[in-house]
Amino acid sequence: DAAHTGQARNAILVSRRQQGNPMLKHIKNVRWIYADIVPDYLLGQNSCALYLSLRYHLLHPDYLYFRIRELLKSFRLRIVLCYVDVEDVVKPLHEVTKTALLHDCTLLCAWSLEECARYLETIKIYENKPADAIQERTDNDYLSRLTSALTSVRHINKTDVLTLGSTFGTLAATMGASMEELARCPGIGERKVKRLYDAFHEPFRRTS
Amino acid sequence: MLPIHEHIVGELVQEDGVVVIGAGIGFAKLLASLLRLHSPSEGVVFVLSASEGQRAAIKEELLEQDSSLQAPIEINNEYTASDRLSFYARGGVAFITSRILIVDLLNERVPLARVSGLVFLNAHRLSDTCTEAFIARLYRVSNRKGFIRAFSDKPQAMISGFSKTERIMRSLFVRRLHLWPRFHMSIASALEENPPQVVDLRVPFTGSMHGIHAAILEVMDACLKELKKTNKLDVEDLTIENGLFKSFDEIVRRQLDPIWHTLSRKIKQLVSDLKTLRKLADYLLRYDAITFLKYLDTLRASEDVRSVWIFANPTHKIFELAKRRVFQVVRTDTGDPVVSDRGKRPLKGRGKQNSGSDMATKKRKANDGSASELSVSSANAGSDQVGAVQDVEVVVMAEEMPKWKVLHEVLGEIQEELQGIEPADWEDDSATVLIACKDERTCLQLQDCVNKGAQKLMGDEWEKYLLGKAELHGMRTRKKRTYVGSRGVGVLNGKLSSRNVSVEDATTARQEEVALLAAAAEVSFREEENRGGRGRGRGRGRSRGAGSGKRTQKEKQDAGNDDTISLEDPSVSILLDEKNDNLGEESALLEDSVKEVSNRTSNQQGKKSSSLLHFYAIESEQRILDILRPSFVIVYDPDMAFVREMEVYKAEHPLKSLKVYFLFYDNSTEAQKFEASIRRENSAFESLIRQKASMMIPVDQDGRLLDLNALSQSPSTFSSNSSTRKAGGRKASEKQMKVVVDMREFGSSLPCVLHQQGIKIVPVTLEVGDYILSPDICVERKSVADLFQSFASGRLYHQAETMTRYYRIPVLLIEFSQDKSFSFQSANEVGEDILPTNIVSRLSLLVLHFPRLRVIWSRSLHATADIFLTLKSNQDEPDVDKAMRVGVPTEDGLIEGDLRAENYNSTAVELLRRLPGVTDANYRSLMDGCNSLAELACVPMEKLSELMGGNRPARMLRDFLDAKCPTLA
Repeated sequence: DAAHTGQARNAILVSRRQQGNPMLKHIKNVRWIYADIVPDYLLGQNSCALYLSLRYHLLHPDYLYFRIRELLKSFRLRIVLCYVDVEDVVKPLHEVTKTALLHDCTLLCAWSLEECARYLETIKIYENKPADAIQERTDNDYLSRLTSALTSVRHINKTDVLTLGSTFGTLAATMGASMEELARCPGIGERKVKRLYDAFHEPFRRTS
Repeated sequence: MLPIHEHIVGELVQEDGVVVIGAGIGFAKLLASLLRLHSPSEGVVFVLSASEGQRAAIKEELLEQDSSLQAPIEINNEYTASDRLSFYARGGVAFITSRILIVDLLNERVPLARVSGLVFLNAHRLSDTCTEAFIARLYRVSNRKGFIRAFSDKPQAMISGFSKTERIMRSLFVRRLHLWPRFHMSIASALEENPPQVVDLRVPFTGSMHGIHAAILEVMDACLKELKKTNKLDVEDLTIENGLFKSFDEIVRRQLDPIWHTLSRKIKQLVSDLKTLRKLADYLLRYDAITFLKYLDTLRASEDVRSVWIFANPTHKIFELAKRRVFQVVRTDTGDPVVSDRGKRPLKGRGKQNSGSDMATKKRKANDGSASELSVSSANAGSDQVGAVQDVEVVVMAEEMPKWKVLHEVLGEIQEELQGIEPADWEDDSATVLIACKDERTCLQLQDCVNKGAQKLMGDEWEKYLLGKAELHGMRTRKKRTYVGSRGVGVLNGKLSSRNVSVEDATTARQEEVALLAAAAEVSFREEENRGGRGRGRGRGRSRGAGSGKRTQKEKQDAGNDDTISLEDPSVSILLDEKNDNLGEESALLEDSVKEVSNRTSNQQGKKSSSLLHFYAIESEQRILDILRPSFVIVYDPDMAFVREMEVYKAEHPLKSLKVYFLFYDNSTEAQKFEASIRRENSAFESLIRQKASMMIPVDQDGRLLDLNALSQSPSTFSSNSSTRKAGGRKASEKQMKVVVDMREFGSSLPCVLHQQGIKIVPVTLEVGDYILSPDICVERKSVADLFQSFASGRLYHQAETMTRYYRIPVLLIEFSQDKSFSFQSANEVGEDILPTNIVSRLSLLVLHFPRLRVIWSRSLHATADIFLTLKSNQDEPDVDKAMRVGVPTEDGLIEGDLRAENYNSTAVELLRRLPGVTDANYRSLMDGCNSLAELACVPMEKLSELMGGNRPARMLRDFLDAKCPTLA
C-alpha cells in the first residue's frame, strides 16, 4: 500500500537475515524496517550493502562471494560493510578486499558496531546530498568564483581572468566574445583563444 | 685530523660496514678523509642522506685537508638530467638526493659498473623499506665489488626499536659494525692526553626562578600521575626526570601511537601538556625574565581550553612569580604591593629580589586618566570593595639572568689573564674568546648584554614589553591618550584565566592592567616624541615624572655623550677597553653583522688591548673551532657534542692553550640533562656492543642477492641489463610484472616493497593516479593523514573524478601505518549525530558520488604489495606511454582516453558546474536547454528558472553572468 511504500522510502530496509545483528540497535538517526530483499540493507534506490564481520568470514570464507553473486548488477553502489573484529586482520582482510574488488563492490571498513551503523545511516541520509562538503571550496566573492570558473579552461590563469573581466565587463559578454575580440586581450595567445572560444561555443553535448 | 680518525677510516676501508661514532668526535673529518681516498678515474661515489649542515662541513673539511681537490658536487632538482648523465660518465664524488638517484637507477640511467661505492650518512634514519635500502639493493644486484659504507653519530637512535641496527646492516648488505664510543681506549687516550683546562661554574638560581622551577616540576608530577592513572602506559619510564627530556615524548608516543585513535581527549591533552611543561622548564633557563613572561602570556592566550596544566594549582604560582620577576604593582599611598589574597606570594618582600645595585628599579606614577579609568571599570564590574579609587604604580623589577653576571666576571677574568701577556708573544688568535650558546636568539641577546650591559638590555626589553601592551590597546596614536577601550584586549593581561579567580583577584588584575597601561602610555608617548624630534623630548614635563634612569641614559646616548660607558656594568667596560671613544661605531657594527661580531676594541692609545669576542650558536653546527681557533671558550649552554668537539680540537692542537668555562645553573635540569645525555650515549653504545656480539648477519650477504635474483626471476626473468622483449616465442611467461609509479611517490616506501616482491618499477610523471597496475587499474594512495587533509582541501574529490574519467577501475588505497592503530576512531568517538566533518560522513559522500571507486584498506606496506599482486594477476601489464599521456591534453586540447570527451565538451561542462546556482541536480537540464555557454549567456531569467527548477538558483546564475567585473584602476 501507498503508506507503506512512502514509509519505506525514508527508511533503511533490512533483510530478515540480519535479525539479531547487534549493530541494528545502533541505527538511531534514521528509521529502519524489515523487508524481503536480496541484499542485507537497502539504502536507496540504487545503493545497497552487505554486512560482513571478519570473524564470520574466517569461519565461512565463501559466504561473501555467494552473497555478492546474488546481488543484482542494477545497483549503482554495492557496498561491502566490513566489521573489523579480529586482531590479526591481514589475511582475512586481504581476501575480503580481493573478493569485493573483483566483483565490483565498494569496501568500507568499520571498527565498532557504532561505526558500522553510522555508515549505513549516513549513506541513507546523504542519498541526494551534493558533494560540496568534500569539494574544493572557493571563496564566495565575485572574483574568486569567476577565477574558479574560468580557470577550469586549461592554461587560463588568474591574470587572464582579470584581463578578460576588465575587457568585456561581464562574464556573459566574455562568453559571447568573438575570436578576434579574445585575441585582442593582452597575454592571451593563439592557443588560449582557441581553448576559450571552444569552451564557450562548442556545444555541451557533442553527439545529438 | 687526528691519527685516530685515520685509524677509523682505515678499518672501514678494510671491511665495509656501518660506523657508529660518539657525537662530536669529528664525523665530518672522517667523511672527508674517506672521500679524499677516491679519485674520479675510479668512477662515481654517491653520498646519500646528508643534511645541509653536514654537506657544508664535509666540503669545508675536504678543502682544508687538501685544497687541490675538486669539491664534491651536489645533485638536487636544479641539476638537469643531461648534466647528471655526463657526471655519471665523468666520475667523482657527489651528494645526491635519494629520490633522484632511485629514479635514475630504475630508469637505468646510471652505469652501475662505474659506481665505485655508496656512502650513507645518518644511518640511524634508515630502515629496511626506505628508499636508501632500495638503492643499496639495486646497486648490489648489479655491482658486487663496490663499497657500501654508512655512518651515524647518534648511537641512541641506533638502538630504538627491535634489533634496528641489525636490520639496517642487512638492508645495506654489510656485515661489519664499527663502534667508536668516546670511551673506546684509543679515542679516550687520544683525547685525554692533552685535555683542555676546564673551569666549572655553578650559578645559583634566583629565588623566583627557583620557585618557578619547583612549580613546573610540581605540575609535571601531577600530570604524570594523571597519565599513570589511565592505565594506558607502561609507567616504569614515566618519571619526572625523564619528563624533562625530548626523548620522553618519544617514549610516550611509541607506546601510545598504536592506540592513538582510541585515546580520550584528556590523555592526548596530558601528553601535549607535558610537552609544554618541558618547554617551559627549558625556557626558564634560556629566556630572560621579560621574554619568559611574554611567552607565558601568549601561552595563556593560545592554550586550549581543555588544557589541564593551565588550571592546575601550582600553575598559578608560575604565572605569579614570572610576573614578579619583571614588575610589581604597588599602591602609591602606602607602597604596599597589590597582591591577590590567594595566599600565593612566597616572595612578598621586595628586598629579597631587589638584591643591590644591579636591579633597575623604577617608579612610574599612574596618571589621573588611569585612576579614573580604574574606577569606571570597577564600577562596571560592580565589585569595588577593594577601593575603587586607588593610586597604583608599576615598579620594575626586571630580574637579570644569573648567568649574565657570571659571564661578565669570566670575561673580566680572561681580560686580566691577557693583560699579563706581552702583545708580542701573542699568537694571532690567542685572544679569541668564543661564547657558545644554544641558539641564535641567545647569541644575539648575549651580544647585547655584553655590549650594552644587562641593565640597558633589560630596560630595552621592558620598554618593548610595554610597547607591545600599548600596541595591543591601540594607543599608539599620538593624540588619543585615553584608553577607554581596554575591554576585549585583556586576554594578554590575564583576563582569560580570571574565570575561576575570585573577585579580589579580578580587581587586582585590573589594577595591574591599568598601571601597566599607564606605564606603557608613557613609553609610547616618549617614543613618538623621540621620533618626532629628539631635542624636544628634553623639555617635556610630563615624562620627566617618570624620572627614570633609563630615560637619562637614553638621552645621553642620543646625544652621543662619551660617558655612556659609565652606565655600563664595570666588567663590560673592562672588556671594551677603558678608553673606547667610538662606541657608537661599535654598536653600528654590531647591528650590521648579526652572527659573529668581532669586538676588537680600538686601541688608539697603543695600550694593551682586549680580546676578540665571538658568539656561536651550537645549533648552527658550524666548524667554528677550526675556523676561529679560540683560546678561551665559555660554554653558556652545555652541549655534549660541542664538548667533544673541543676535545678533538685540543688534541689536534696540543700546544695551543685552551681554557673552557662551563656555566651551569646549580641544581637545575640543565646540569641533569647534560649528565644524562652522556649517560644515555654510553649505555646506547654498551647495548650496541652486546647486540654486535649476538648479531645474526649472514656470512654471505651476497648469497641473499642470489635469492633476490631468483625472486625477481620467479615471475619472470630479471632484467637489469637484458631487455625482456628479446624473448621471442615465450613472451607470456617471460614478461616481468610491471607497475608504473608516479615520480612523486618515491618519498614513500611502497615502491621499494613492491620491488622486493619482484615487480618492475617504472618511475614516470603521472597526471592521474599514483600507481598504474594495469591498463584498467589506477590507484591513488593516501596515508591516513593525507586522507583527512585531502578530504578537507577537496583534492581527493578531484582525484577521484579524474581517475574515474580515465580508468575503468579507479582505486583509493587507504594506507594505515604499521605501528599506528588500524582504525579511524574509537567507538565512543563515533558520537550520537552525523557530523559532516566526520571521516565516516566524508567517505560515505565520496562513495555515493563515485560508486565505481574501489577502496583498499591496507594494514601495512606489505599488505598493500600483496593486494597489488593479486589484483594484477589476471590483468594485462600497464602501458607506460599511455599512462603518462592520460589526463595530459594534446595540443588541440583533446584529452586522450577521456571517457566523456567523445560525448561532451568537458571543459564547458566543468566551467558550467562551477557557476553559482548550478548544482548536480540542474546542470543536465541546463545543458539540454541551451546548446553552449555562449547561448547560456543570452538566456533570459524566465527560461533559466524553468531550466533550473526555481527562481533562486536562476537569479544567482543570471546575476553572476551580468555582474560588472571590477576593473583595475
